[in-house]
Amino acid sequence: MSEIKIIEVPKWGLSMEEGTLNNWLIEEGDSFKQHQELCDIETSKISNVLEAPFDGVLRRKVAQPGQTLPVGGLLGVVADASVSDAEIDAFIAQRSVAPAPAPEPSPVAATAPAAPAAPAVAAKAPAPAPAAKTSNGWQVPQALLGFSAEPVFATPHATRLAKELGIDLSRVTGNGPTGRISVADIEQTVKDHGGKVATLQPAQRADSPARSRADDSQIVATPLARRLAAKLGVNLNDCRVTGSRGRVSKVDVLEAHAAQNPVAAAPVQAAAQAPEAEVLPMNGMRKAIAARLQESKRTAPHFRLQADLDLEALLALRSEINASAPAVKLSVNDLLIKAVGLALVKVPDVNVQFDEARQAVLRFKDADVSVAVALPGGLITPIVRQANRKSLSSISQEMLDLVTKAKAGTLKPEEFQGGTFSISNLGMLGVSQFDAIINPPQGAILAIGAGEQRVVAHNGQPAVRTQMTVTLSCDHRVIDGALGALFLKELKRLVQTPSLMML
Amino acid sequence: MTDKYDVLVIGGGPGGYVAAIRAAQLGLSTALVEQQHLGGICLNWGCIPTKAMLKGAEVGHTLKHLDTFGFSADNIQFDIAQLVAHSRGVSRKLTGGIAYLLKKNAVKVIDGRGRVSAKGVVTVSSDTGEAQYQARHIILATGARPRPLPGLVADGQKVWSYFDALVPKTVPESLLVIGSGAIGVEFASLYSDLGSQVTLVEVAKQIMPVEDHDVASLVQREFAQRGIRVLTQTKVSAVQGEVGALQCRLTLSDGSEQTVHVAQVLLAAGIQPNTEDMGLEALGVEFDKGFIKTDAWSRTSVAGLYAIGDVAGAPCLAHKASHEGVICVEKLAGVDGVHPLNKSRIPGCTYARPEVASLGLTEAAARSKGHSINVGRFDYQANGKALAMGESTGFVKTIFDSETGELLGAHMVGPHVTEQIQGFGIAQALEATDAELSEVIFAHPTLSEAMHEAVLAARDRALHQ
Repeated sequence: MSEIKIIEVPKWGLSMEEGTLNNWLIEEGDSFKQHQELCDIETSKISNVLEAPFDGVLRRKVAQPGQTLPVGGLLGVVADASVSDAEIDAFIAQRSVAPAPAPEPSPVAATAPAAPAAPAVAAKAPAPAPAAKTSNGWQVPQALLGFSAEPVFATPHATRLAKELGIDLSRVTGNGPTGRISVADIEQTVKDHGGKVATLQPAQRADSPARSRADDSQIVATPLARRLAAKLGVNLNDCRVTGSRGRVSKVDVLEAHAAQNPVAAAPVQAAAQAPEAEVLPMNGMRKAIAARLQESKRTAPHFRLQADLDLEALLALRSEINASAPAVKLSVNDLLIKAVGLALVKVPDVNVQFDEARQAVLRFKDADVSVAVALPGGLITPIVRQANRKSLSSISQEMLDLVTKAKAGTLKPEEFQGGTFSISNLGMLGVSQFDAIINPPQGAILAIGAGEQRVVAHNGQPAVRTQMTVTLSCDHRVIDGALGALFLKELKRLVQTPSLMML
Repeated sequence: MTDKYDVLVIGGGPGGYVAAIRAAQLGLSTALVEQQHLGGICLNWGCIPTKAMLKGAEVGHTLKHLDTFGFSADNIQFDIAQLVAHSRGVSRKLTGGIAYLLKKNAVKVIDGRGRVSAKGVVTVSSDTGEAQYQARHIILATGARPRPLPGLVADGQKVWSYFDALVPKTVPESLLVIGSGAIGVEFASLYSDLGSQVTLVEVAKQIMPVEDHDVASLVQREFAQRGIRVLTQTKVSAVQGEVGALQCRLTLSDGSEQTVHVAQVLLAAGIQPNTEDMGLEALGVEFDKGFIKTDAWSRTSVAGLYAIGDVAGAPCLAHKASHEGVICVEKLAGVDGVHPLNKSRIPGCTYARPEVASLGLTEAAARSKGHSINVGRFDYQANGKALAMGESTGFVKTIFDSETGELLGAHMVGPHVTEQIQGFGIAQALEATDAELSEVIFAHPTLSEAMHEAVLAARDRALHQ
């Protein structure tokens, strides 16, 4: 039997957890070469083309456009013509819900056994392909079953649930503090592997009728009622039977739904009381921002240091360069990127990432400066790599390209993933001073306020000077106060004596 | 400072408005500054209204030859005002269409004259005053205008430019056309068909100097047969007199002088870029023969400043401007797989009678560049459809590299060739060789069969000649 290969959702970046298939670029039956473009996949940050990892023939599109799958999720099946459709059906059934452990051969078992043995049977009966373990509404894919002897860090609830279901916790990714596995993590992992999770019922209220979980496929119902019930999540066992010829009708389903969802059933009343709100589904970028910054705020102990920088010399330098070099248009931000890059190299202990898994600090030689760029509905942080080594004009040109690409959505993953330090500038929006949340796993971020004229003491006299307030947020796990202060001091020296940047 | 845009385009012609739409499609906040009318020269005073006028000329020509098809008619009247009204109406309609497209794509249209007052800053002046706009990328698409000759400026009275020739109050009894590029040749053909006695003057050796010599010769012969007097290697040194009775002093190829008496003169001796009063010199923009100097991606020598279309140099064609606009925007937006403009793949069309369409190198240019070539030629005389239509003048000429089979050039003159040239354009873009083109099945009976035969002829395999 020829080999069956799979196309799965790739992992394009550390934070990538799922991908949405936008569209297929080839058809079933098409053969393709390695590196050929197969389909468009959108992640929380970008839309990118998936290239074929090998040559082959696409036999089946398992995922449909619009579907969101976890990393590793099955997109399509690849095999040459010698593999029958039935074998492919069996393969898919086997993968989506792993076959029963099948300890004893059972003559009645119409499962999807090793495909070649009975492909026809498998093809005809893929629907009831059983989960490895079904209990209390859970269907746990075989891939997750087992027991790990190694200690696993999990909540007591999660440990008990795993034991009940026979799930190997070492195969579950923990998203809790320091990687602790919660019940939610188990549920997510089971779902990601194509299994089913028992729907947790809200605490039963005295006035809301019980919900049946029994199989309702044998209940006689009108086609409309059955479809509506499926859509609303109503079990037909819970419905009265008032339709013709003893069938559950649309009205019955709606009644049952209303009884089970009292709040939903009274939308008019609710609308009268609740303030009107538009429901805006979060897009991938919004979700990523929410998850990452939540994680940062929860896990990284932030402390902040503030400094006022005098901009007079830097502005003079900028004007001079811009006035004399047509091909260069420096912004204050471009100069600050360069200054930050040089300061980071001078104080390398701020140019760090926290590697939690290894309990280590990664210290970088070059400063890859992530620059926050606001987009409609979100933000992204394209990176000026090796800002310490680059000329001001190349930093400026690079920033122009990166910002435009960010707006056009054409940034490549390597252009915004990584970075050793971030800056966020809200000065152009008139913000005097603000605090930023660290962009994990980086160790610090600089929040830049507006350059504004202030009356300050200058050489013992009051003077009007253009000044700017910057705020450094540091992760105290890896950067201490004095160290952060040292970085700000170096930054201040470079900004106030910008000719040092020419060295 | 009012607004900040990702992309701001100055000029709403076929280069500028297309660039703006593409930028907006890519999700960039985009504005377009236009001082007069959207659509630029192309829609308002060029490509489109001339085609409307030329359709009238074609109708006139058809009416003169009704007998070929068994018809006769008398008392045929012609009202130039009506034809002009039709032409202006078409322009108005399309200009409105551009406004709709820009609105649909959320491009902010700013009325007024744009000037780059500093890097990344455009000052727009209009009746309501001045306003400043910031933009990361500024694209200059200000186009070009008719070029005056020494001592000869289009005044709209004695000497017309194409603006005036598009809205004539009457058809001049006689017309001297100076310059035989696409504009000059089209107007010579138009006014000849409308009844003017036309003289066409060209300073170069052949009319339509950028076209293949064989093509130009055929057009010149056809013009001569229609009663158009064609003078090559001739200069106009002075125009004197009053409208309706002008004396034009010509210097002929042999150095002799001649005076021609005409009612009207049309100056069509090329165009010059609109680069004045835009703050470009102060910014350090570099120029090349008056046009803005740009690189393969339309970048000028100033940061964040781009130039596309006529203002950035020849060929001064609407489709070149549009294409350049798309390339420029896609490149600055980081779109994958953008290719620089390949000038050998820009078709050129002249809508005279006969029509001329061409692509790539002329035979002379191919030879002087040192290519070893195979040339194929097929006359419409041997094309059934052309004979049936009663328009069998013209030919198709193909030029292939004899070693690689690459299509280096294609030159067509005759009926509806402007609609057919893209067949060769597609072949060139897909890098088809003479072998693939030979294998294509062309429908019968069509004018395009002549294209196939011209390919076969280049391989000495023409079937019908």
